[in-house]
Amino acid sequence: MNKTKKRIAALVLLAALVVVFFLVYRHFSPRPQAGSKHVSVEVVDAEGASKVYETATDAEFLSGVMDELAASTDFSYEGTDSEYGLMITHVNGLRADYVEDGAYWAIYVNGAYGEYGADSQPVTDGDAYSFVYESAN
Amino acid sequence: MGMMLAALEAVKRALDFLPNVELVTLLFIVFTLYYGRKMLLVALAFTLLETFFWGVHNWVIMYLYIWPLLILIVHYTRKHAGHFFYCILSAAYGLLFGAMCSLPYLVAGGPGAAFAWWIAGIPYDIIHCISNFLLCLILYRPLTAALDKVKKSEEAS
Repeated sequence: MNKTKKRIAALVLLAALVVVFFLVYRHFSPRPQAGSKHVSVEVVDAEGASKVYETATDAEFLSGVMDELAASTDFSYEGTDSEYGLMITHVNGLRADYVEDGAYWAIYVNGAYGEYGADSQPVTDGDAYSFVYESAN
Repeated sequence: MGMMLAALEAVKRALDFLPNVELVTLLFIVFTLYYGRKMLLVALAFTLLETFFWGVHNWVIMYLYIWPLLILIVHYTRKHAGHFFYCILSAAYGLLFGAMCSLPYLVAGGPGAAFAWWIAGIPYDIIHCISNFLLCLILYRPLTAALDKVKKSEEAS
């Protein structure tokens, strides 16, 4: 096989791998539930004090619920986009910056540690989400 | 070593605002071609420097094997490899970056956690793959030309 053919074969193989990865993503990525859903969002601050917000939403992802709550209640949040999605830095005005505070906002879904960021966590009817201020130390 | 570390940190900071578009992979490839296994020390220093700036995160563990693995691949294939090979290597490295980074989650949370973490990042891995390919395609020759000059001046002095 000459050099050009080898290069074309390598490019085709790489492109095929990209397609396979994309199909795996399409097949296995979390799917949001359509329609109105009733969910709760709990905020647990550094002292362990809890505040719960109940809402009905059509949001597909948790960040959409957070935006709706921020527009209609005293819930607030701030965050930055990163390669891993939305990194939440403030909830209800309380900062949890890993570098500055040695703390972070952990997301729990129905009591279990969340596997996704807020902008990729699908919203399902009946879910209970918690934002918990957790110290790294 | 200090200059290479500074260059790695500078390009990382400069492109931090673009998720998964980075020049660190390309610099590790090019530097390894000129400085060989010594780059393992630079990779360790780079990880320590990043940890100093950003604190201890999961990616510290990932950096401890991802960059050394790249350095070893480049070092042991350098005699048979050229520009195009490194374009493919950096693209593949970008595409597999998430899968490689999911290994600590495999240990900490089991296969389900590692798989979910990898799946969530696939769109970013595809961006990483394409950007790595293009950056290597465009910048490999200018970088190697610059390092040729550095090497010649080192040998002359």
